[in-house]
Parts: sequence; C-alpha cells; structure tokens
Amino acid sequence: MMWLYHPLQIPLGLIVWGVWFIALYSGLSVGCAVAPPDAAAGPWNWLNAVLGGASLATVGLLLGLSTLCWRASRRVGKNERAKRFIARVGASVHLVAALATLFIALPIVGLPPCV
Amino acid sequence: MIEGRPDELHQQFDEVWGNPRGWRAATIVNHTRIGLLFLLTGLGFFIFGGLLAMLIRAQLALPDQTFMDADTYNQVFTMHGTVMMFLFAVPMMEGLAVYLIPKMLGARDLVFPRLSALGYWCYLFGALILAASLFLELAPDAGWFMYTPLSSLPYSPGVNSDFWLLGITFVEISAVTAAVELVVAILRARAPGMTLQRMPLYAWYILTMAMMIVLGFPPLILGSILLELERAAGMAFFDVARGGDPILWQHLFWLFGHPEVYIIFLPAAGLVSTMLPVFARRPIVGYRWVVVAVLTTGFISFALWVHHMFTVGIPHLAQAFFSAASMLVAIPTGVQVFSWLATLWLGRPVYHVPMLWLFGFLVIFVAGGLTGVMLALVPFNWQVHDTQFVVAHLHYVLVGGMFFPLVAAVYYWLPHFSGRMPSPRLGRWGFWLVFGGFNLTFLVMHWTGLLGMPRRAYTYAPGLGWDTPNLVSSIGSFIMAIGIATVLVDVLLHFRFGVRAAPNPWHADTLEWATRLPPAAYNFISLPSVDSRYPLWDRPDLVKEMARGEQGLAAIAHGRRETWGTDAVTGEVREIIHLPGNTWLPFAVALVLSAVCIGLLVKAYAVASVAIVAAAILVLRWSWENGAHEEGGTAVPISAGDPPLHWRTHNGPGRWGMGVTLLADGALYAALLFGWFYLWTVAPQWQVPAQSPLDARGMLANALLLTVATLWLRRVLAALRRGSDGRLRGQLAAIAALGLLQSAHLLWLMHASGLVPKATAHDAVIAVVLGYTLFHCVLAGVATGLQAWRVHYGYVDRAAPYEPIVLGQLWYYNLGVVWSAYFALVLFPSTWGGG
Amino acid sequence: MLPALAVPWLAACEGPQSILDPAGPAARDVTLLWWPMLIVATVVLVGVTLAWIVAMVRRPRDFSPEEAKRLSRRWVVGGGILLPAASIVLLLGFGVPAGDRMLPLRDHAPLRIDVTARQWQWDVTYPGSRVVLVDELHLPAGRPVHIHVTSADVIHSFWVPRLGPKIDAVPGRTNVLRLQADEAGSLRGQCAEFCGTGHAHMALKVQVHTEAGFSAWLTERAAAFPP
Repeated sequence: MMWLYHPLQIPLGLIVWGVWFIALYSGLSVGCAVAPPDAAAGPWNWLNAVLGGASLATVGLLLGLSTLCWRASRRVGKNERAKRFIARVGASVHLVAALATLFIALPIVGLPPCV
Repeated sequence: MIEGRPDELHQQFDEVWGNPRGWRAATIVNHTRIGLLFLLTGLGFFIFGGLLAMLIRAQLALPDQTFMDADTYNQVFTMHGTVMMFLFAVPMMEGLAVYLIPKMLGARDLVFPRLSALGYWCYLFGALILAASLFLELAPDAGWFMYTPLSSLPYSPGVNSDFWLLGITFVEISAVTAAVELVVAILRARAPGMTLQRMPLYAWYILTMAMMIVLGFPPLILGSILLELERAAGMAFFDVARGGDPILWQHLFWLFGHPEVYIIFLPAAGLVSTMLPVFARRPIVGYRWVVVAVLTTGFISFALWVHHMFTVGIPHLAQAFFSAASMLVAIPTGVQVFSWLATLWLGRPVYHVPMLWLFGFLVIFVAGGLTGVMLALVPFNWQVHDTQFVVAHLHYVLVGGMFFPLVAAVYYWLPHFSGRMPSPRLGRWGFWLVFGGFNLTFLVMHWTGLLGMPRRAYTYAPGLGWDTPNLVSSIGSFIMAIGIATVLVDVLLHFRFGVRAAPNPWHADTLEWATRLPPAAYNFISLPSVDSRYPLWDRPDLVKEMARGEQGLAAIAHGRRETWGTDAVTGEVREIIHLPGNTWLPFAVALVLSAVCIGLLVKAYAVASVAIVAAAILVLRWSWENGAHEEGGTAVPISAGDPPLHWRTHNGPGRWGMGVTLLADGALYAALLFGWFYLWTVAPQWQVPAQSPLDARGMLANALLLTVATLWLRRVLAALRRGSDGRLRGQLAAIAALGLLQSAHLLWLMHASGLVPKATAHDAVIAVVLGYTLFHCVLAGVATGLQAWRVHYGYVDRAAPYEPIVLGQLWYYNLGVVWSAYFALVLFPSTWGGG
Repeated sequence: MLPALAVPWLAACEGPQSILDPAGPAARDVTLLWWPMLIVATVVLVGVTLAWIVAMVRRPRDFSPEEAKRLSRRWVVGGGILLPAASIVLLLGFGVPAGDRMLPLRDHAPLRIDVTARQWQWDVTYPGSRVVLVDELHLPAGRPVHIHVTSADVIHSFWVPRLGPKIDAVPGRTNVLRLQADEAGSLRGQCAEFCGTGHAHMALKVQVHTEAGFSAWLTERAAAFPP
C-alpha cells in the first residue's frame, strides 16, 4: 500500500478526471461522427448510455481511491507528517475529482447528444 | 541593515555572486536582477498598453467618430489586448515569482539561472519586435485571438499577422523557460526541512501556475506555427477547401486561452494569500483547503475552453459539459475567498495601503467571477457573447484579479526592492482614483453590452442607446488613468523621499524578509533549515543566525555558486547544486533568435537559416559549459560530510528540468495529434488520398531502428548507474551515429513520400508530424555525440554520470513520438479507411 | 407605486438592439434568466464586501482553537463550497432546459430562410422563392423560422438581439438558428464576430410582418426578380 503515500497521489485524482474529460468530449465527437442517434429519442440512446456508464465508473474509481487514501492517512503515526499530508490531500483531491466528474456528466441525463 | 560576520565573508560572497555594471550587465543571470528586469519591462509595456486603451476610449466616447479610422482602430485594439496579455500580465507575474520564490524557499537562486536570463532577453527582444509593428503602422489587426480565416493570408495579406505569430511565439519562450525553472526550483531546491506541507502557500500557487504554463502554452505555440506555415509556406490547416477547418484554430487557441487567464489569476491569488495573513497577524485559515482549491482550479481550468465557442455551432450536450465545468470552477475560487475572509475574521487586522488594494481586489474580482458564472450559462451566453458585457467581465476579473493584487504586492515588497517605504497618503489617493475610475468605466459597460453593443466595433450609430454609457465609460477611464499615474508617481518618488525601511517592516512570516533590504545577490550568507510553516514567526532568532553564517552552506572559498538540492517531498538535503556564474550566452542566443524572427518576418530566409545555425552552435557551446567543465583545472573538493555536487549524482535538477520540458514538448505534440484526429473527424471537406503517401514498411523500419538505439542507450545508462563506464565514449558515439542514421532515413522517407502539404490538410499535418519527429531525433543524435566528445575530455564518466542520464529521457520521449506517429499516421488510417 | 418605479427602469432597458427588450420567446427566456441571476449576484457581492468591511472595522477578539476551527469550517465550507454549489446546481438545472428549448429541433415545417454572410453584408434568400435581399430580413410573426447561416469568407455572427441568440456564420458549415417574433414591427441586427474593417457597419434591418402581410410582401417582392 506504499503507493498511497507517493506524492503523485496528490494530483492523481485530477489526472484521472482529466483523462475522463478527454474521453468524454472526444467520445461524444467521434460517436456523433460515426453513428449519431436520432435526436427525437432525447437522452435515451446508445451514446449517452456509454458516456454515462463511463462517467459512473470513473466516479466509482475516484471514490474508491479517496477512501483508500483516507484510511491510509489514519494509519500513519504522528511523526510521519509528510505521509499523512500526502494521503489526506490525496483523499481530498480524489473526492473533489469524483464530485466534479458527477456534476459535469449531469447533462447526459437531459440532452440528446449530437444536435 | 543586518549586522553579520566581518565584511570579509560578505566580500568573498560578492566576488563570486556579484553583478557587473555597464555593458557586462547583460551577462547577469542572478534571479533578483532578472526578476526586477521582468517587472520593469512589464511595467513599461503596461503603460504602452494603457495608452492604447486611452485611444480606444477616446474613439468610443461619442458615436460616429473618426478620430481613428477602422484600420487604425483594429490595430490599436488588437495591440491593446496582445500587449496586456502577453507583454504585461504573464511576464509581471512570472517576474515577481522569479524574484520571490528562491528567497521564500531559503535558497540562493533558481536552479537554471542561464535559462531565466535567456527567458528575459527573449521576452524583451520579442516584445520590442511586436511593439515596433505599431510604429510601422503594420501592427496585427485581426484581434488578440487572431481567428482564422480573418487572420489567414487571403484576408490579412500584409505582414501584420506575421508580427503577431512570430513575435508572440518568441516571447512565449520566456514564459515556458521560467515555468520549467519554477517547477524544478519549488520541487528540488527548498530549505532543508521544508516539507511539502511547510512550503509557503505562494509556492503551491506558483507550482500550479508553472505546470499550467507547461501544459497550456504549447497548444498556442503549435497553432501559431501552423498558421504561420499556412501564411508563409501555403500549407493547409485552417482552409476548408483543402480539408482544413477554421474552428481548429479556435480550439488550439482557447485550449491555451482559458488556462491563460488562470495562469494570470492564480499567482495574484497567491500574493493575496501571502499578504493577507501578515496583515491579519495570524496564519491563513485552512492551508490544506487552499492547496486543494488551487490544484483543483489549475486542472479544471483546462476543461473550460469551449465556453469561448458556444456560438460556433457545437452540439448542445458538449456545450453543457463545458457550461457545467465553467460553473464548477467557482467553487475552489469560493474556497479561497472565504478562507481569506475567515482569516480576517479570526485575526487582528491592521490597516496599511496594501490592504486597501486587497479590498479593491475582493470587490472587483468577486464581481467579475459572478458575471463569469452568468456567462457560463449557455442561453445567456448566446445573447451576450461578443458584446461589451464580455469586455466588462474580462476587465473585472483581470484588473480586479491581477492588477489590484499586483499593486498591493508592489506596495508590500517595495521596501524589499529598494529598502525604502512608500507614502501612505499618495497611496490612498491613487487607490480611490483607480477604484472609482475603474468601476465607472466598466460597471456601466455591462449595461452597454446588454443594450446590444458588440465588441471590437470602431464606432457605433447614435440612437441605439449606447451614447451615454460609452461617454460615461470614457470619462471613467480617464479618471482611472490619473489614478494609475498617481501610483506610478508614488513609486518613483519613494526612491528619493521614502523613509528607510526597518528589517521586516510588515512583520511577515516568510523567509524573503530575512535578506538585507535591498537583498544581496546571494540572498543569504548562510541557508536556513526550517521546522515550521512560518519560520520568521516561530523562530525570531533565525534571521540573526543566518546573517552570522551559522546556518548552512556558508563556505565560499571554493569560488562556486551553490545552493541546496533537496528531496521533493521531505525537504532532506540530497545534493549541492552547483550554479553557473555570469555569462554572455543567454544574451547572445536571444540576439541570434531575434535575427531568426526578423528574418522570417521579412522573408529573408537565408538570413534566418544562418541565424538558426548560429543559435544551434551557441546552444551546443552552452551545454558544453556544464558540470565538470566548470571546475576548471583545480577542482576544489566539497567539505567532508557535505552531499555531492549535483553533476556527480543520478538525479539532480537537470533531470527534473528535462522531464518538465518534455512535458511541455509532449503537450505540443499532443495538440498536434489532436489536430490530426479533429480534422479527420469533423473537417467539412476532409480529403484522404486513395493510397497513403507514406511507406508503411519504411515507417515501421524507422521506428524499429530508433528502438534498437534507445534500448542500447538504456543498457549503457544502467551500467553507468551501477558505476561502470566501460567503452562509454565508443558506445555513446555509436548510439549517436545510429540515431543520426535513423534521422537520415526519416528524412529520405519524407522526401520520397510524395506528400503535397500545400494541397491538402491531410498531407500538411503529416508533414508537420514528420518534421517534428525529425527535429527531435536529430537533436538527440547530436546531443549524444556531444556527450561522447565530453567523455573524451573526461567531463563525463562514472564519477560524473549525470548528463547522459538526463539525455536518456529525450531518447525515450522520441521513441514515444515515433511509435505514436506510426499508430496515428499509418495504422489508424489503414484501419479506419478513407474519410 | 411599484409599477411607477418600474417604468423608468424598464424604459432604460429599451433599445432597437437591446437584449433586455425582448420581441420574441427566446429573448424573453433569456431575460427571465438574467434578472434572478443579477439579484443573486448582487446579494453575494454585497455580502462578501460587508464581511470584509466588518472584519476590518470591528474590535478584534481572541478565539480559542476549537472556536477558531469551528468558525473557519463554517466560513470555508458554508460560504466557499455549499453556497456556490447550490447556486450552480440551480443554474444548470434552469439553464440547460432553457437552452434546449431554443434549439431548432422540434418544429414541424418551419419557414426556412438562408443567410450568407460576407465581408461586409448579409445576403438573404428564401428557398422556393426568387427573392434575394441584401442587409434586409423579412419574417412572419407568431411562428418559428429557421435561419440557415453560413459564410462566404471569414467568420461572422448573425444576431438579432431582441429576438434571440446569435449563431456564427462559419465558412464550410451551415448552422441553423431558430427565431420567432411575437408581433409585427421593425428590429435591428448586427454582425457580432469581428470580421475586418467593415465589421462595425455590418447591420441588418429586420422587418416582422403579420402572417398575411408576409405572404403579400413575398409575392410582391418576388415580382421584382425575373424568372
């Protein structure tokens, strides 16, 4: 579990979020170029389903990482403050990234994709 | 004046670190001087940009005016935006960081001093070239964001747009070099004991800003290169008929453009987070919250760019993603604002002039942030986009969010720059004139926009309801100008009449106040170890101990400029960083690059080519004057028990610098691949030839050749790390030769391919990818050859293994480029089929 | 008395190109979003400003570490996270459907008008008719009209503020804008994307007719164009 104290944990959540965002926008663009769903169906189509599923998976991953980091921060002794700092900040960033993913993905449930 | 050890030690330090005068001042690489130069030059361009603003407001004061004709006005407003954004805002914030960061971190200098100097000279020369265009009446006139096709050759046939593309790219070298330096300095050159969580908050802000520059500037650099290639060489990227797309420019520009405004705001917020606790006389509330907020702002700001393009015709769901993200960024900003408020509330605030400016910052920036959230709402944006409402918003966030904290910072650190205090009375007058004038100018401008007045119109018809608001704005702008002049007069006068500053006049907690006022070139006679987040508050005797030479690295008899190299997380000492002294190289390289820039501008390609070769030679010489070469004949060993000099290790600052630079390079390459896939997916008239012009097997062979060379180098480096340098020179020379052979093969493949970059965007993008790859492979080959030569001279061996290890990263990067190019250009089209 | 106070205020919003003087449903939806946003923004700005001033001016007191922690959490979490979070959820919740309603998706057999922007004029044509207009747009009131916008040269932006949002005229693409006017009258539009030296003068006269009046106008105008 040493990787939970690695300094890259600090930005990792936002890096995961960034990769998700790239996949979201490019996935939408490519999906619309290849097989755009009928706009009359609203948000109930294959493309929104795929994008929504990927988003939920990412939220789950980030919440999981946040929990792991938070628990790791509690296992650290008082004299290892650097490790605790990294794990705590990492946990916060993972949580923030999860919430950001959720909020940005919200329009998927309300809009048709390619119009 | 801090009393210290006998003047003898100071004198010895001055000999090693001193700044020459006269002509030789162009050789100075010390961060204090370079930082001040950035600030002074930035101030000059601020005044220039401000005068242009006055011209704009004079023209718009009344309807149907012809004080400036449309052509002149277009040059003036384009230059106003360009000068303020590129020649004032970013250099000013970076300059302040260059000045402050080493001192706050308890170090003697930044980690690559010659690089900071190069950055400054590139900034100065590029800025002068751009400013000259206005006096030649050839200034860029397509708006500061240069939308194609207006900025393309058919609609901007003159050299105006080329001034922008070449001049700004030249200036951006300085932004990226300073960013690389700041990242590595913050991560690897802090005071011993300064763990990540003991870093001053300002360091977190600057680290984030610098990483944003590293990733955010390259898309614009790429876009500028592509547009200039289109204009000068006829290649097709943004031209619909040949398979390009003008919207690609907008994506590339705003991929840079949105992070850019946070690159400007975050360091200013960092200044606020530094000054406000001092005036509240307590530590900031919620250090960890602020760290998370700053990181979050930095990342999320990269997912906002399409909100500048809501009216372009992009699908609504995509717009909604960017709308949500744009609103989301208000939250980390809110966390910082309320952290500041809580700090004031829980502290015991004192009133000083900087606090007035911080108050102005709060009111104006929060107002701007609120209109920003409004603009994030898509249907509202569809109405007010490209109106005066947006002009009002952007000035609220930029002037409020950057200019006001900047003035507060100037008042706060003025005693540091000059050793004297400014005047409170003149400071108050200046503030109220600027605050009042600003709001008079820009508050009513929201209204003007809501009444339907578009942006960038040189005049307007009477009777549309815009007459009175514009007059009010123009009057306000003159009041604001008078206020700014008052501030400038105050700053100028204080050099003569200001009261001498006591040490640490504001009773601050950060280490920059432990230097003399003004500081010596070496900052501190001895470098402190820290054990708390607020060193000057928690250990009041620290300053005296440092001045008496009782802290670390107080030896100078060896004649080397040195500072500590520390672990990125724990702040434990890892090595002694051996810094270069004064040299002509950065100035010379910048001068030669100016010749390249001007040569390309006037289409004197022979001159430009010669200058490029000269630059290459100078840069190679620069990399020669490194490490063991600097020891000279008599190597003075370090004291027993001291850590090694960095160029004897495997993991010094250079390795980190190379890594961060490759991140910037990778961002540029990623933007290029984005352009490829973007055009392939949505360009309106994308054309794919029936048969790919590329020799698939040849490309594969080329990639395999590079793989062999790289794997071989990897083995050599592994041996070096184990302390073995058998046949190092021969192996490095052979690897270099192999690399150059691969480059030659690539060049031959390009030549034989029959690409027609002037005919289709498809071929043009491929040509750029291959050209980019070629440049990097040649670079790696030549640099490795140079390393072999250095082994021959004994500058590189198993006791000084540093440089080849640093270079290895470039080879791995190139391998990634070559293989990803193979996948994107050869495999992807053959599986995906024609457009 | 309240209407009397409102009248000069509303009058100040009037203007031939005023976003706040809607002459169609899309523009009206935007003003319905604007006024609440303005009110909330003003309240937040005043609140934050007052907080700063009071903190500076009041007599400072000492806080115990627990008090300080509690207060700071209240400020940072309440003001910095919960307040903006609630606001943006509301905004997105109202804004996304409002934008969706403005899209040209669900109309049956709308009137189609083609607009080609070029430096520095608007070329307006009516498919199925021979009419070609320059810098003029005529449309019937009371039903949705789809404007198909493109450009012959650089990027321009088609915008009639009192009717609704703008859409960019991009070479190589055709963007569709849905507009609807409430009643007959004269309106003004203007190019809203910087397009060179003539940008400031690239205006558009918009004439809204009644349904019957529009048919009459179209027939009469078509007579001027030989077959």
